[in-house]
Amino acid sequence: MSARLWRLWALVPLLVLVGVVSAFVAGGKSIVSLVGTSPPPADTFQVRRVEFRPGEIRLKLTNPQREALRLSIVTVDDAVVPFDTDGPRTLRRLGSTTVVVPYHWVEDDPIAFGLTAASGVETVHAVAAAVETPAPTGRGFLGYALIGFLVGIVPVALGLAWLPSLRHISGRWLAAFMALTAGLLTFLAFDALNEALTRQAALPPGIGGFGLVVLGVTVSYLGLTWLGDRLSRRSERAAGAVVPGPVLALLVAVGIGLHNLSEGLAIGSSFALGELTLGTFLIVGFMVHNITEGLGIAAPAAEGGGRVGVRRLALLAFIAGFPAMAGTWIGGYLTNDIVGVLFFSIAVGAAAQVVVEVTRYVRRRAPGGLASGHVVGGFLAGITVMWATGLLAG
Amino acid sequence: MLLTMKRTITRRRFLGAAAPLVLAGAPLAGLAAGVAGATGTEPDPHAGHTPSSYPGHATMIGAGVPSPAGPHEHDALLYPPPALPHEPGRLRTYDIVASDRELEIIDGVTFAAWTYNGTVPGPVIRATEDDLLRVSFHNAGSHPHTIHFHGIHPANMDGVFEIVDPGGSFTYEFPAKPYGMHLYHCHAAPLKKHIHKGLYGAFIIDPPAPRPPALELVMVMHGYDTDGDGANNFYAVNGPAFLYAKHPIRVKRGELVRIFLANLTEFDLINSFHLHGEMFRYYPTGTGTAYEYTDTVMLCQGQRGIIEVEFTHPGRFMFHAHQTEFTELGWMGYFEVEA
Repeated sequence: MSARLWRLWALVPLLVLVGVVSAFVAGGKSIVSLVGTSPPPADTFQVRRVEFRPGEIRLKLTNPQREALRLSIVTVDDAVVPFDTDGPRTLRRLGSTTVVVPYHWVEDDPIAFGLTAASGVETVHAVAAAVETPAPTGRGFLGYALIGFLVGIVPVALGLAWLPSLRHISGRWLAAFMALTAGLLTFLAFDALNEALTRQAALPPGIGGFGLVVLGVTVSYLGLTWLGDRLSRRSERAAGAVVPGPVLALLVAVGIGLHNLSEGLAIGSSFALGELTLGTFLIVGFMVHNITEGLGIAAPAAEGGGRVGVRRLALLAFIAGFPAMAGTWIGGYLTNDIVGVLFFSIAVGAAAQVVVEVTRYVRRRAPGGLASGHVVGGFLAGITVMWATGLLAG
Repeated sequence: MLLTMKRTITRRRFLGAAAPLVLAGAPLAGLAAGVAGATGTEPDPHAGHTPSSYPGHATMIGAGVPSPAGPHEHDALLYPPPALPHEPGRLRTYDIVASDRELEIIDGVTFAAWTYNGTVPGPVIRATEDDLLRVSFHNAGSHPHTIHFHGIHPANMDGVFEIVDPGGSFTYEFPAKPYGMHLYHCHAAPLKKHIHKGLYGAFIIDPPAPRPPALELVMVMHGYDTDGDGANNFYAVNGPAFLYAKHPIRVKRGELVRIFLANLTEFDLINSFHLHGEMFRYYPTGTGTAYEYTDTVMLCQGQRGIIEVEFTHPGRFMFHAHQTEFTELGWMGYFEVEA
C-alpha cells in the first residue's frame, strides 16, 4: 500500500472503537446485571456559592451526578421556605441553577440550608456566619483596589528598592540572592499547587478538576517559556544561551504577577463570601510576605550590570504587583470556583518555569555553580523566609 | 397544590416532568397578609394593619391559596367512621393489606413508604366496647409485617410473635376493650424501621354510653425520614406535610369538636399539639372523665388522647406542634371556624 493509505489506516482503530462502544451501549445493561445492581444515585447537590443580600439569599447549585436531580424543597434552619430558581428545577448532569430564597436572615448568625431532592435525600449546607455579600459599588471597588495595592504593588516596589545595594555586592552574594529568588518562587509554586489541588477537589467531580490543574500548569509553563524565548531574541540572545538578566527580571515579574493574581483572587473571594476576616494584621502579613518578591525581581535585574531605569523598575513593579489588585476585584465580585482553580494552576506553571530559568542562569553565571554554599544557602533561605513570613498571612 | 394533583407520582415520572413548578414571590406576600387578617364577621381591630412583606407561615405551603377542606382522598383519615351503639358481641370486620408504596409527602418529594391500605397513617379502625373485632390482615409488602394493637387482648393476638411473611395472611380477632383512643402499628423487627416507614394508625374504641354528638376528627402525628439518616426530614398529621394548611378544616362556631389525637412520630422523643385562639379539654387516652383544660399537650410515641373543644370566635385558627421545628417542617394546619 502507499504511504497515503497507511496514514488513512489510522482511522481504522477509531472506527472499530465506535463499533465496540455502540455494541456495549446497546447490551451494556445486561452485562451490569450479571454482576449485580448499581447502587442508587447519591442525589446530593453541590452548593457552589451562597450570597446574602438584604431580605434574600441566593444559592448556586450544581448537579454533580450522572442522573438528573430535581430540587423539590428548600429549608432554611430546618424550616420549609418558598423559593424560586432561575431555570428548570430538574438539573441535568453538571447543570446549575441559582435558588433565590426571600429570607430575613440574621447578620453574623450561623445558618444552615437543606436542599431536598425528589427522592427525599437532603443536602445540608451550613454557613458559619451570615454576612452580606458586597454588591459592586464605587467604594467597594476602591477598597479592593487599595487592598490589592497594599499587598501587591507596595511590597514589590519596596523590594525593588534593594536594587542599588544588590549592584554593589560581590558576585558570590548576588548568586546567593538569585538562588533566594529561585527558592521563593519554588515556595510559591508549591503554595499555588496546594491551593489549586485543594480547590479542584471541591469542584463537582464531573468537571475534571485535576485535569484542569494539569492543563493550567502545562499551558502557563509553555507560555512563559515561549515569552522568555521571544523576549531574549529581541535582546539579541545567542541561541542556547541563558536568558539575560533584565529579561530574567521581567520573567520573574510575570511569574510573581500571576501568583499575585490568584492570591488577590483568594483574598477577594474569601472576603466576599464572609470566610475571611480581613484585618490589619492579615494585610500587614501579606505585605511582609510579598516584599521578598520585590527582592526576587531585583536580584536578576542587578545581574546584567547594565543600568535599569526608574521607569523600567516601575513597570516591573506594576507587572508583579498590579495583578493582586485585579485579582481582588475578580475575586470580590465575580468569583467562580473554576476560575480560581485555573488561576492557581497558571501560577504554578509560571513559577515553575521561572525557577527553571533562574536555575539555568545561576548555573552558568554563579561563581562555584549550583553546588556552592551561597547558592544552596540562598535557595533554602528563600523558602524559609517565605514560610516564616507566610505565617503572618496565615 | 401539587399534592392534590398527583399524590402517587413515581420518582421516575417525576424526574421526567418537564413543567417546572415555579413559585412567584409577589403573591406570597399577599397571601401572608390575607391569612393574618380575620376572615369572620366580627369587627376587625386590625383593619388599619399594613400587610407585611415578611414571609409568614402561609408562604411555606406555596403560592396556592388555602382552600377549606373539600373532599379529598385523605378525608377518610380525618373523619372517622361513625360510632355505633353498644351491642355486646357484634362483629366488626376490617380488611388491612400491607403494601409498599411511593408517596408524595410534600411538594415533589417522594417517600418509599410501607403502608396499611395504601396510606400513611393507615385507616382508622373503630369499634364500640364489647364488639368482636376481626381484622383480616394480608401482607402484600416485601418485608414481614404484623399488626400490634394497643388495648386488652390475648397474647396470640398481640402481633409480636406471629410474624406474617410477604404473601401471608393473619386474622386478628378479640373483643374490643377498653374504650378510649388507642392505636395500632407493625411490631416486626427492626421495630424502628417498620414504624417510621409508615405502618401505624388510629384505633378508636367507643364507650358503652355514647359520647355527646360532635364533629369528630382523627389526627395522627408522625414524621418522614426521607433520606434514611435516622432523623425526620418532614412532619405531618394524617399524611402529606402542610395538608391542613393547604386545606383548612371547616368547623362551626360553638359546635363541639372532638379530636382523637395520637403520636406515632419515630426518632423524636415527643410531639405535641397546640391550638390557637381557644382552650380545650384533654382526656388522656380517652379512658376516663378526668381532663386537663389547656391549649397545648405533649405526647411521647404511642401516647394518645381525646381533645374536646368549642370555638368561641370565627376565623382562621392555626394548630400545630409546639416544637416549632416540626411546625415549620410540615406539622401545621388551620381550622376555618364559620360563624
